[in-house]
Amino acid sequence: MCRTRAEGAVEMGKWKQLVLYLMLILLALTAFYSCEARFDAPVDKKKTVALIAGMKHGDYWRTVKLGAQMAAREFDLNLNFYAPDYENDPQSQIELVEQAARDGYDALVVAPSDEQVMQKALEQDNKQSMPILTLDEEGEYPMIRSYVGTDNYEMGKKAGEKMLAIIGKLGQVALIGSGEKQANTKRREQGVLDVMNGTAGVELVATRYVQSDKRQAGDLAREVIRSYPGVEGIIALDASTATRVAAEIERLGLQGKVKVVAIDSPPEVLEYLQEGVIQATIIQNPFSMGYLGVKYALEASEGKSIPKRLDTGTKVIDRENMFWSENQKLLFPFVK
Amino acid sequence: MKSFIASVVKALQVRSIQFIITTSFTLVTVLVMLFVGVMLYSKFSETAEQNAYLNTQQILEQVKYNLDSYLNAMTQIFELVDDKIRNNQGGSDGKLNEQLEAIVETRKDIVSIAVFSRSGELLTATPARQMRNHTQITEQSWFRSAIEDPHNLSFSLPHVQNLFKGEYPWVVSMSREITVKGSHGDIPAVLLVDVNFKEIDELCQRVGLGKKGYVYIIDLVGNIVYHPQQQLIYVGLKNENRALALKHSYGSYVEETEGDKRLITIKTIDPLGWKIIGISYMDEIVTTKKEISRFIFWLLIFVIVIVLLVLSYLSEKISRPIKMLERSMEQVEQGDFSVNHPITGSHEVQQLSLRFHLMVGKVRDLMNQNIRDQEAKRKSELEVLHAQINPHFLYNTLNSVVRMVGIGKNEDVITTITSLSKLFRISLSRGKSMITIQEELEHVRHYLIIQKMRYKQKFEYEITAEEAVLPCKTLKLLLQPIVENAIYHGIEQMADPGMIHIKASKSDGKVLLEVKDNGLGMSSQVREQVLAGTYKSNSGSGVGINNIHERIRLSFGEGYGLEIESEIETGTVVKLWIPHVQDES
Repeated sequence: MCRTRAEGAVEMGKWKQLVLYLMLILLALTAFYSCEARFDAPVDKKKTVALIAGMKHGDYWRTVKLGAQMAAREFDLNLNFYAPDYENDPQSQIELVEQAARDGYDALVVAPSDEQVMQKALEQDNKQSMPILTLDEEGEYPMIRSYVGTDNYEMGKKAGEKMLAIIGKLGQVALIGSGEKQANTKRREQGVLDVMNGTAGVELVATRYVQSDKRQAGDLAREVIRSYPGVEGIIALDASTATRVAAEIERLGLQGKVKVVAIDSPPEVLEYLQEGVIQATIIQNPFSMGYLGVKYALEASEGKSIPKRLDTGTKVIDRENMFWSENQKLLFPFVK
Repeated sequence: MKSFIASVVKALQVRSIQFIITTSFTLVTVLVMLFVGVMLYSKFSETAEQNAYLNTQQILEQVKYNLDSYLNAMTQIFELVDDKIRNNQGGSDGKLNEQLEAIVETRKDIVSIAVFSRSGELLTATPARQMRNHTQITEQSWFRSAIEDPHNLSFSLPHVQNLFKGEYPWVVSMSREITVKGSHGDIPAVLLVDVNFKEIDELCQRVGLGKKGYVYIIDLVGNIVYHPQQQLIYVGLKNENRALALKHSYGSYVEETEGDKRLITIKTIDPLGWKIIGISYMDEIVTTKKEISRFIFWLLIFVIVIVLLVLSYLSEKISRPIKMLERSMEQVEQGDFSVNHPITGSHEVQQLSLRFHLMVGKVRDLMNQNIRDQEAKRKSELEVLHAQINPHFLYNTLNSVVRMVGIGKNEDVITTITSLSKLFRISLSRGKSMITIQEELEHVRHYLIIQKMRYKQKFEYEITAEEAVLPCKTLKLLLQPIVENAIYHGIEQMADPGMIHIKASKSDGKVLLEVKDNGLGMSSQVREQVLAGTYKSNSGSGVGINNIHERIRLSFGEGYGLEIESEIETGTVVKLWIPHVQDES
């Protein structure tokens, strides 16, 4: 009796064991294949950074984008580049910031058109703890992780100093700009003023700002020249103003007589530079802005500490050095 | 599940077959797999590395080929332009301009064709466009190299062309000194063909070496012709070790910068001396290696798990019948000989099991035999004991003695009592079971004396023995029951006086004890019953004839025993065969 029960148990146990072994082998197989499947899938998730620039077009912003793309490729991250169609369009930028906040990014780099945009961005930052960096436009935002861009005060000083060097530290100088209320402009102006005020022989006779229509810059230049016939030089605080001032001076046939120091290097400015209407321009480094902006955005999203302020540097370009090979790539970033 | 755990625990018993099989096979498998894994890994990673090298080489070769052919095409165009200008000596400028315009139009990448005098004045330009101011032509590198090396075509570095109004295009300038016919005879001039750099730029941009790798080009002295991160280098955010690259014209080396290991591959475009430098990141190659090692690692674990499972199953299958056999043996050891279930398994184990069971069967039979033998012996010994002091016989004898005393036959009384005393003395014989034949015969003689007294000379007897057998040993009290039977069954009911003949002799090396009577005899049927011990008699000592047979055989073996020959009305002969055993002393 006892023996038959034992035999039965052995028989049953045999089947159970066989099934158990089969199941274990199956389990191992699936484990193996799932492990293998993991090899094919990307092992670590790529970070995604959004960059909201000032404008879609224009060499300046395209160079920013180029730099940002270079960084994205080098540090292996996804970059989404957004920009409004026109410059100084805070409303579109706010929409883009909101959209970016909805999509959710590891970090956000914004080149704000005005403070409203920044305000909006900071609101999103509070909600999502997404690190935000500003590019190009330096504001007074204590919440911002980092500013990557030009030291505009330094730029203004360089413009002033270059003007002094051109006119031989003697004579009348005028200042024309646009966007009076913008922080960048204010800093540039301050830079110029500090240089002028520190030099005895030089007098800053006029400071004019384009109010609404940028085309007014030419009129402003004409008015300044008429009011101050002895004016030696005009410092234009931004590229579009510089272009129009130069055009007006050329129209008046005063090229070489009224010296112009410009800011930035759009093709028009460079043409005037070669033609001798504009004597010098202070250029920024948008490529570095894009590159470093994305690089530090990535580091911020990884929790690394990044410098609060990063100066991408400026350079004084005149006709002498504009075709030096090391400057060519900065002045003409695109192969056309 | 429980049984599985139990089997695992059992498998862990260090010296069990299951454990030995599992561990040794696993060890062997692991070693083999490790070996194979290491071999595979080294082979794979070597191949991966080689592939990476080869791949880079091939890509660079392709770039070089493309650049080469592009520059060759441009050289041909330059030569064509040169030819046109040369052949036009004396012809009209208009015709030449048409021809040059046709060339510029068909090749979109030709930006401009221009001829300058040695002092830098523009002689002719296609397409005809207004010159810019402040071009400083004589300072430009293409102009200087044409003057310095008048006979060879020189290629400039890519630069921004600032000669004509309009856009600032990036060009590579091809220049050489030529002579053109002027109003005052032949004058030396410089022919400039500007080729749009876009083609080369795009060609290089398209090249990717892995995820991060790229290609850059430097000229003979290390100036950058093309670099995807040119701006970063100029502002000092990035550094490329161009000095080291300059030292190589072909081949590859590994360079370490800022913690990145990079594979640098270099090719040179021969006529220009431009170097194409490919940068691939080693960590991408290493990633492939890591993937391979991870794959092999998992494969190893997987195979080990499978092998462990299969082995534990197999070893369990092999060792289980052995364990069952062991259990059966344990059972037998504890005295249970009833085990009888054949074990299935490998052939060897089956054979083992078969033999074991046969053996157990034999042992069981032998033990049963032994038990039976012991029982029979004990029984016959009891009977012998019983015969030694047969109370019935004693009572009969004493009765006869009383009767004899009553009738005053004193001599008979003395004979009877003497015989009785001798009879008892021999039958006790100090507890020995073996006595000499002489004593046995003496014993039966005294018995007969007493019986003869009782039966009033109803029979006669004769005892004869060969002198040689007298000292031989025999079991005691063998003859007495036979004689008793002869008297009770053979002679008592006979009318004529009976005769009992007892004979001890030697025959065929054995000793033969014979009891012969001339009594009633018995039928062969009765004889069979007597021999089988089933015959019931209501008198006698109770010692069965068959028991005598058994006693002899138990003591001396199969070859000995008791035989009965009998015939009705003639008599019976009982033969006892015992071995010839002499006392040593």
